[in-house]
Parts: sequence; structure tokens; C-alpha cells
Amino acid sequence: MRGLQLSLDKGQKLRFERAFEVLESLSSKSNSDASVIVADDISVNNEDAILKGHGTAEMNDRLVATLCGVVERVNKLVYVRPLRARYKPEIGDIIIGRVIEVAPKRWKLEINFSQDAVLMLSSMNLPDGIQRRRTAVDELNMRSIFEENDVICAEVRGFQHDGCLHLQARSQKYGKLKRGQLLTIPPYLVKRRKQHFHHLDQYGIDLILGCNGFVWVGEHVEVRDDMIEDLSDKSEQQKVKSWNTMGDEEVQEEYTPPDTRQNICRSANAIRVLSTLGFTITVEIITEIVELSKSMDLDVHEMLGAEFYVIVAEKEAERRSLPTKRR
Amino acid sequence: MVGLSLGEQTFIKGGIEQDLRTDGRKRLTYRPIFLETGIIPQASGSARVKLGATDVIASVKVELGKPNPSYPDKGKVSIYVDCSPTAEPSFQGRGGEELSTELSSALERCLLGGKSGAGAGIDLSSLCIVRGKKVCWDLYIDGLVVSSDGNMLDALGAAIKAALSNTVIPKVQVSANAPSDETPEVDVSDEEFLQFDTSGVPVIVTLTKVGGHYIVDATTEEESQMSSAVSVSINRLGRICGLTKRGGAGLHPTVVLDTISAAKHVSEQLMNKLDSEIAAAEACDEMES
Repeated sequence: MRGLQLSLDKGQKLRFERAFEVLESLSSKSNSDASVIVADDISVNNEDAILKGHGTAEMNDRLVATLCGVVERVNKLVYVRPLRARYKPEIGDIIIGRVIEVAPKRWKLEINFSQDAVLMLSSMNLPDGIQRRRTAVDELNMRSIFEENDVICAEVRGFQHDGCLHLQARSQKYGKLKRGQLLTIPPYLVKRRKQHFHHLDQYGIDLILGCNGFVWVGEHVEVRDDMIEDLSDKSEQQKVKSWNTMGDEEVQEEYTPPDTRQNICRSANAIRVLSTLGFTITVEIITEIVELSKSMDLDVHEMLGAEFYVIVAEKEAERRSLPTKRR
Repeated sequence: MVGLSLGEQTFIKGGIEQDLRTDGRKRLTYRPIFLETGIIPQASGSARVKLGATDVIASVKVELGKPNPSYPDKGKVSIYVDCSPTAEPSFQGRGGEELSTELSSALERCLLGGKSGAGAGIDLSSLCIVRGKKVCWDLYIDGLVVSSDGNMLDALGAAIKAALSNTVIPKVQVSANAPSDETPEVDVSDEEFLQFDTSGVPVIVTLTKVGGHYIVDATTEEESQMSSAVSVSINRLGRICGLTKRGGAGLHPTVVLDTISAAKHVSEQLMNKLDSEIAAAEACDEMES
């Protein structure tokens, strides 16, 4: 495994390699002829009228791939879908971003794309929930909604004529994310699904798998309508708290309860393990790994040890080989 | 690095308060250490250490040199650290220089002791070839930060320790008949080598103070919340070889004493862990070559 460096002992190494052999043998069957590496020929069967798409180039009357990936054909268009690439937004994607700038009438967000995304003040629900024109006062109060460095969840609205990417947050479920941690994983490990917001009831946590490879794991918050008072209240309290450092009983109450925090950390570590191993990340697998670690009675930080990586790899190999046997 | 939102900051601080940090560690737990030795063939000794996403390389080059006239029976050691721009965009150009000098001077303080070499983690008199002759070994220790995710000083300390135990010094023959005030002729053997003695090299433990508690092996996110950090270098006997403090906020003397006793406790585990990792890496290295 390239890029993966763990201190494995001999037995672990053997088991690890065996698990990956199983995984490889499973994947290569499905589309071995369609996958190409750079400079591979793409067979076009001497058709004249083909359209050369992304990741292809013509050299000496042959069509060659310029990317590693899978050849896809749509009628006459031939293109290569890369295996590993930067996030490319599609309309309707649910993404997580970080505010880098508060500009006139808009926020600029870092979303792991080649350019920054824009969230207009007009394309988000105002915290008081009233539909109206945005006034100059609203514009002045933008920082009370989102500040620099805030983590925000939003939806991709589309590309504007000038090529910049616009987002929207027209629902109470979108908005600022607090009390939790943000993880960054390769975006190709998150597949587009119907549901990206997950409330894991048994753990009391929220899990948001952003299509751009940002994953939020945090304390569960009920979606409420009276957000604005709550919001300013909280940030005020937090500011006060950071000043009078510690010891107070009140401060203790403000923090995430230890049980919830344990679950947050456990889930976050499950995601870390899965993404290092390069496995697709879905809620089912995450909960499975969390349960596995719990049943093995592992401490949260022991999930990042070498032994657990091997077990997860074996588990995944087992899981993937099962459905094929049933068929 | 990117900033953190208020919510994330509170979450990190709360985690440290509750003794369960964002990656599930306790306050005094290190991240898993990955260690390789002998990665640079041209160097006399080299090692690479990974602590989570922190990735550092250390190399040791041995050269013949002249000892300092005031300390004729001691060798010389110089430590230089470079921060690669691949670690962080802000290290580009001269951006990493400040951190580089800070790290090198901290390492010098932790490993080399005083100017005379007293209290040094590296025994300078072992670098002397013949007593009283104007020739000695110079050790050039270079560190490179490839990727930074906090706690670079501890990682560099561990890498240097591993690189030194990987270091071999060639056996030399000094012609005895040369006059004592001239540089003697030295015959360096290509085949026979001596292992460098690393039993006295300390490990560095950095305790970062966040809120009312201190933690070891802080990540970049946690370091952004710190008020101050104390780095203690402790050798196998549990003695302190060096001490440095970073960060603007002052510390109460009792807190310093407290951190030292905590560091001493942590260093025992770290020392054992490092020793076993170094032994494993050396065995792996020998198998390949």
C-alpha cells in the first residue's frame, strides 16, 4: 500500500497484505478492460466520428489516455473518469466549507475546489425566517450570521455566468456548524447519495458527509426556528468563557457531555481509519466500525493503532466478498 | 494553516478539559510513532519519524575537523533545522526561517547543554580522536520538516536520537610521531566502523498548556489554542538535560515543576517506545541491505 505507513509486525503485515489481495481480486474482475493508466491506448474501433472528451488526447492517429481512470462512453463522446481527483462540484451537492472572507453581500468559502465558492446573502434564509428583501442593515450584520473561519454547511446552487461557484442555504438544516470537529478526507471517498445529513440517534451525534470531502462530526442539534437570539447568545457566552479560563461549574456544563464526546471521537477515528485505507465512506460502514471498536473494548485512541487498521481491512475484504457469493 | 471557528475552538478546549482529545487521546498520550532508519545512503546516519501527520527527517554527517582551542579534547556538534515549504505554504521563501532558527536553537539547548559541553545529551568527549591532538570529529546534524502537524520539536528530537543510533564513525589511525602543535595525519578506514554511543541521548517531551491543563504531542489545532509550552529533554536516568519554553504567557513556578514531573513520567514510556521502534527499524534496515 503506497502512502500508508504503519509500524506493522510480521504477522500483521501478512494479514494486511492478504486482505488487500482479496480486495484487489474482487475489484479487478468488474471493469479491468475499461480502466486505463496514462498513455494507454483507448480502443475506438476505427470509428471516425468520436468526440474526444476529458482525459484523452490524439497522438499518431491513436487515442491515448492522459489520466489514470476508467473510460466512459456516452454516445460518441469518449472520456476518462479519473480515479483520484480534486472535488468537482455538481448542482445539488451538499458540501461543507469554511468562511475565508466576508465580502459585500456575500461570504467566500473554501470548499476544497480549485476556486472559492460564494454564498450570497440573498441566497440564504435569514435567521428570523422571514422572506423579505435584504436591506443595508442586514448587510452590516452579516458577521452576526457567519464570521471568518466558521464552518458552514450549504448546497451547490450552480455556476454563474462569470464562472464562479454559487451556493445556497435555504433551509434550517444548513448553516453554521458548532460543537464538533471537521475532518478532511479525499473527496472521491464520499459518494453522492440521497442523504448526507445523518443523525446517529444511538450516539447522540450529527454526521454530515460533505461531497467535497469535508466531514463534520458533532454534537446533535435540534433544528429550531428561533436561531438568531440563540446564536448571538451562544457566541457571547463562548467569548466570556474563553476569557475566564477554567474551574467554574458553569463552564463545565457548556462543554459537550463526555459520553457524546466519546462517540464523536470514536466516529471521527473510524472515518480516519477508513480514509487512510482508501475505503468508501458511508454511514453504515462508519457505524459498523464504531460498533466493532466498541465490541473489541478498544480505547478511542487505540483505534488509530496498527492492529485496528489490519482488522478493518480484513473486515472490509470479508464484507465485499460476501454479496458476490450470494449471487 | 486555516483558522478554527469558535465552535471548534471550544470543542478542542473542552476535550482537553475532559481528558478526551479530538482524536480520542488522553492528555498524556502520544500519537502512534512510525520510525525508519538509514534512509539517506550518503549520510553517516539518518532517520525519519512520523508522529501522526508530522513528518521529519534527521541526518547525521561525520567529518574530521579541528577542535575548539578552549576545549581541545572535545568534538563539535552543530544542529540545523530546515522547514520545507511542502509542510506548509507559509514556509515558502523566507517564511520558515524564523521557525527553523527557533527549532534549531531549542534542539541545541535540549541536546548540547552548555558551551563547554557540560550536561550535554551528546557526549562531546567521545568525538575526540586522540587526546591533545588537533583533530576531532565534527557532527553535522540536519533536520528537515517535511510535513507539520504540531509537536515538531519532539519529533525532531526522536529523529535525531534514531539517526545518532544509526550513525557509524569510521575507525581511524593517527600517526603518533607528528609534533603536537600541528594537525596530525589521519588514516580513515573504509571498512571498519564504530557504533556511536547513544545511551545518553535524551528524548524531548513538550508539554503544551491549554486552558488549565497541559497535554503532550499537541496537533497544530491544539497548538493554536495554547498559552505556553515547556519542552523538557530527559535522558534515560530521568535527569533533565535541557529546558525551553515557548509561547507568550508566563508560567507559575509550581506549574513548571509540575510539568517537569509529568514530563519525566511521560519520557520513560516514550524512551522505551522509541528504543523498541529504533531496534525494529534497524533490524528491518539490515534485512533489506
